[in-house]
Amino acid sequence: MRRYSLTYLIGQSFKGLWRNGVMSVASILVLLSCLIVMGTFGLIIYNLNDNLASLGDLNSITVFIDMEKTDEEIQSIGESISRLSNVKNVEYISKAEAFERQKAIYEEEYPYFFQGVDETIYPASYVITCDDNAHFEELRLELEKMKDQGVSKVRYLADAAETLESIKNGVIYIFTWFMAILFFVSLFVIINTIKLAVSYRKQEISIMRYVGATNWFIMLPFIFEGILIGIISSVSAFFIQMYLYGFIESSFLAEYNIRLVHILPFDNVKYIVLGAFLAIGIFTGIVGSSISLRKNLKA
Amino acid sequence: MIDFENVSKVYPNGTVALDGLNLHIDDGEFVFIVGASGAGKSTLMKLLLREEKVTSGSLRVDEFELSKLSNYKVPYYRRRLGVVFQDFRLFQNKSVAENVSFAMRAIGEPAKLIRRRVPAILNVVGLQDKAKNFPRELSGGEQQRVAMARALANNPGLIIADEPTGNLDPMLSLEIMNLLIRINKSKNKTVIVITHEKNLVDHFQQRVVTLNDGHIVDDRVGGMFG
Ligand SMILES: Nc1ncnc2c1ncn2[C@@H]1O[C@H](COP(=O)(O)OP(=O)(O)OP(=O)(O)O)[C@@H](O)[C@H]1O
Ligand SMILES: [Mg+2]
Repeated sequence: MRRYSLTYLIGQSFKGLWRNGVMSVASILVLLSCLIVMGTFGLIIYNLNDNLASLGDLNSITVFIDMEKTDEEIQSIGESISRLSNVKNVEYISKAEAFERQKAIYEEEYPYFFQGVDETIYPASYVITCDDNAHFEELRLELEKMKDQGVSKVRYLADAAETLESIKNGVIYIFTWFMAILFFVSLFVIINTIKLAVSYRKQEISIMRYVGATNWFIMLPFIFEGILIGIISSVSAFFIQMYLYGFIESSFLAEYNIRLVHILPFDNVKYIVLGAFLAIGIFTGIVGSSISLRKNLKA
Repeated sequence: MIDFENVSKVYPNGTVALDGLNLHIDDGEFVFIVGASGAGKSTLMKLLLREEKVTSGSLRVDEFELSKLSNYKVPYYRRRLGVVFQDFRLFQNKSVAENVSFAMRAIGEPAKLIRRRVPAILNVVGLQDKAKNFPRELSGGEQQRVAMARALANNPGLIIADEPTGNLDPMLSLEIMNLLIRINKSKNKTVIVITHEKNLVDHFQQRVVTLNDGHIVDDRVGGMFG
């Protein structure tokens, strides 16, 4: 295409956007909201995933060893635990260590409890983390079976990770539906915006047809208008998202001091967010304008 | 060269607008199409513009067989034609020059060519001094001349005008017809004019094709009505 034609097309699409004032602003706002909601959900999931990964050790199992077992026996139990499938890590906590840990936690409150006792009152233990949380239960049952080999007790924390996993799935579920609805709303508004732009230029289009303008030449400004809506929406959505994220990260979390979760820096994902916004925004713009031009495409 | 061979046009509602029409028009001819209301004159024009497709028969314009022309080739075919309507169809918010240049921009002509060509065309229709005026500042005759300038903008070989003087009083009608004749003679363009105006047709003594009820009932050179 000639350079002149290209500037003409882009000029036309800007003009169209301008002439269509209210509708253009409406479609930009709707698409922008759609993108921000999507981005927010996406970032929540991203952070959840990361927090889940670090919460993984909640899913550890502690195996206590019979008090009367010797060091060699304890060691061989440890080795057979390591050989079980789905075992990621086995940490040995000796009687002495257990004693020190407990003392550190409780001595201040119950000083008399630790008087005249030593480490022998504590059992040695292994803390096991599993590779795949989905098969946590199988590993636990395997360990329960080792009770006749000197394991006295198998203790595990409530399935915290599983709960978080299901929260994540719930978020994804809501997110998907929300997205679908918002996408169709955006599409609908863009379709109507472009329809209006087309009706505004009905006479021009009819004359263009008479003098032999090609369909592409007639339609491209409208497609460009859709793309423009997409670009403006996604770039503004990106900056709003960045601001929102920073706001939540700094003020909100600082104020309520939520230590349990950590928030990943926006910089890690900014190009992904911008790229996704642009891709979705432009895609919606093209699809929306194409749909509204469909019936105009015959000669 | 235009060749209607046994052309019929039946509209979707069943109206037979043209019925087995045979008509040959050579390059450079000037032809009046006349006939009562509903005779099929505008339908004939719509077929030539490929706004409507023939129902049966064959319609050739130069190397284009319109009954077989695919949609994507239609724009290129239409660049051979210039159209003028009774109601001018000018853009009220565009100046005279912009109305003309619009036709050139619409087919992607370069700005340089447009700048050079628009004044030349306005000169042909005698509106070189009105380039910057807007249609509402012009008389009906001048507005129709702008429409003719637009029709000429892409240098078509064939001009089709559907009642170009229908909205004009007699003096201005004569002026427009004179201009069409001049374009036909000096630029050697084929010109087809659909009209109701007997005295104009008689005045110019050109070929006259009379339609009635979708048929050609008369085809002769010279005055039709007198
Ligand atoms: N789009 C259409 N659908 C159905 N019938 C149509 C259509 N256009 C025209 N007709 C019919 O076809 C016939 C020929 O119409 P056409 O417009 O060609 O007549 P005309 O000779 O141009 O008449 P006029 O002098 O009034 O302009 C008429 O009976 C008309 O009602
Ligand atoms: Mg008519």
